Amino acid sequence: MDLAFTPEEQQFREDIRAWVGANLPTDLSHKVHNALNLTRDDMQRWAKILGKKGWLGHGWPKEFGGPGWNSVQKHLFEEECALAGAPRVVPFGPVMVAPVIMAFGNAEQQQRFLPGIASGEVWWSQGYSEPGSGSDLASVKTRAERQGNTFVVNGQKTWTTLGQYGEWIFCLVRTSTEGKPQTGISFLLIDMKSPGVTVRPIVLLDGEAEVNEVFFDNVIVPAENLIGEENKGWTYAKYLLGHERTNIADVNRAKRELERLKRIAKAEGLWNDTRFRDEVAKMEVDVIALEMLVLRVLAAEKTGKNSLDIAGLLKIRGSEIQQRYSELMMLAAGPFALPLIREAMEAGWQGDFPGGAVANAPMASTFFNMRKTTIYGGSNEVQRNIVAQTVLS
Amino acid sequence: MDFDFSDDQVQLGDAVRKWVDKGYTFERRRAAEKAGGFDRAAWNEIAELGLCGLYVPEGDGGLGMGPVEGMVVMEELGRGIVLEPLAQSLIAGGVLAGYADAATKATWLPKIASGEALVVLAYQERAARYKLDVCEAKATQAPGGYVLNATKSVVPVGDHADAFIVPAKINSQLALFLVERQSAGVTTRGYGTQDGSRAAEVMLKNAPATLITQDGLTALEHAVDIGIAASCAEAVGVMDKAIAITAEYMNTRKQFGVVISSFQALRHRAADMKMQVELGRSMSYYASLKLNAPAPERRAAMARAKYQLGQSMRFVAAQAVQLHGGIGVTDEYIVSHYFKKLTQLEMTFGDSLHHLGEVSARMQDTAGVFA
Repeated sequence: MDLAFTPEEQQFREDIRAWVGANLPTDLSHKVHNALNLTRDDMQRWAKILGKKGWLGHGWPKEFGGPGWNSVQKHLFEEECALAGAPRVVPFGPVMVAPVIMAFGNAEQQQRFLPGIASGEVWWSQGYSEPGSGSDLASVKTRAERQGNTFVVNGQKTWTTLGQYGEWIFCLVRTSTEGKPQTGISFLLIDMKSPGVTVRPIVLLDGEAEVNEVFFDNVIVPAENLIGEENKGWTYAKYLLGHERTNIADVNRAKRELERLKRIAKAEGLWNDTRFRDEVAKMEVDVIALEMLVLRVLAAEKTGKNSLDIAGLLKIRGSEIQQRYSELMMLAAGPFALPLIREAMEAGWQGDFPGGAVANAPMASTFFNMRKTTIYGGSNEVQRNIVAQTVLS
Repeated sequence: MDFDFSDDQVQLGDAVRKWVDKGYTFERRRAAEKAGGFDRAAWNEIAELGLCGLYVPEGDGGLGMGPVEGMVVMEELGRGIVLEPLAQSLIAGGVLAGYADAATKATWLPKIASGEALVVLAYQERAARYKLDVCEAKATQAPGGYVLNATKSVVPVGDHADAFIVPAKINSQLALFLVERQSAGVTTRGYGTQDGSRAAEVMLKNAPATLITQDGLTALEHAVDIGIAASCAEAVGVMDKAIAITAEYMNTRKQFGVVISSFQALRHRAADMKMQVELGRSMSYYASLKLNAPAPERRAAMARAKYQLGQSMRFVAAQAVQLHGGIGVTDEYIVSHYFKKLTQLEMTFGDSLHHLGEVSARMQDTAGVFA
């Protein structure tokens, strides 16, 4: 047992830190460090910088053009990016669909889709949830009917994150109604420019349209866009959900936001307020305990000697922590969290308000936005069902 | 970075677990509790396993092992809610090996390692609560050494121990001393504690003492940190077993015609218990792996760990009883004894509020496992 990273791992961290320091545009890190709005162009800019270096697919094996890093190296890369204030990599392409294409797609599909994902040129979206299928994902109803060399797709997906920017979408579609719900699902890649695809933004409680409804009205999809076998999509979806399981804990971001929380507490004159400071101290312990939990999982993955049955815990705890730091930031802002001045969430806006409203403009918005974290990716209640299984079986 | 145990560590843990399962039954524990809370025979068996010398160097008759081995052992003792205070031998071995002069080491370490001498930390005072730098005990120089005047409270097995490690002030300087219980001027008043074990008030009136170190605060902080890491590990074992007992009960107890583990409200509670024990286990690893770090880093780590373990213990203990229903609050059924053990551990070597204050006072701009 040893807590330290190896000298090679520490050197690896130094190298990553130096590269990120030299290549991350400061206007982007400024926005991230201050929770200001990121545009599509902002996110694409960073994705393409990573893509050019071959690190957008930083979890990819070498045979598909990735760096072939192990779990610890991936973690160190993600941590250095997060602490430096890099925009979060939009995961749908490089983290979610790419591993499925690598594992279950054919050579032609790999050659066709992976380069655009690796470079950051093509924006992917996820088509999983439907109005009637949230936690019960296997009940998806969006139909894909085989007609010769095509599928005809009809139905609706929802909660499609950043789908307004999407160029391609990977979908779970129903290709059979026979047998158990899980057995009639297929994994289909759909060009969002196809006739019959309509994207309608959903405005959330923070006033932003981060998610969308995506409608499919007789959309013709070439059969060559089917991943793997027809009716085996549920297996691929589960593979995807099991992939990058430490990612969802988002502990690196939590560390960065803990630093920011302390900056805010100082700026708002709360750093020496015992009641508030103790709440920050609790947060600090929570973040470190989560980090230890993540490190245990990473180390187990790296050595492969034992597997820890605690993935569900990472999601629950990570999401609770995200909600809590956003809440504390808002409380630190106090009355200045209340003015709703959207322009103040844009970088460089020079509004003239004498109080603390401009600096604190994003606080309530972020707190509102974070409500999603205990709901998405399998609600925390569903995660508790899974964890309970490990205790009671 | 590696959180796997070595084969030797696994074997050590297995040996202790075997003794706990076979040699330390609930009936034996109950008898020991009735008899006052300390079973010398059980203590000797622990000593025969070599555990008392875990932190005593090999040259002084011990095993010369490190914090991870200490953690492995304490976790297993926790599983069996063992009353006998091995953590005290870890403290005594670690502190004397680290701070005492050669003569004191030669006199005491072999006896500590063999279990022949039970040496315990006597540091708590009425006015100090959990603060280590508050000390009214006075040491004055006398022919051949020092004499101490002090009243130390809630000293583990104080009326059975062979010697005490005692902080006292020489003028305004905190120093650490060793005092033998049989010496003139030492009186003890023993009692049972809430978890079934034993402690005592220890009164020193011009009691002869051997100086361990003039740098008393440094050594005392280290002593308490050994105790914190040990009690964190012990707590993980207690929680593990409390959860296992609760899960077994939930899978057998029927109400409304079905086992109560089929109810989602209760299943979620079990999941939350698992969360708390795993956060606790993570921070117990953290504490033990930081025990040999430089003092400021070590102290900060212990405060963080003990705060997390305190939270985890309170939650797991409360839910273990709650999920049992009425049987959970009886003395007869085992789970209430786990509840009491967790309650006491939370208040040993500083409770959650104390350690939250420590974390709060030490906060820096950045924080993480490695900072």
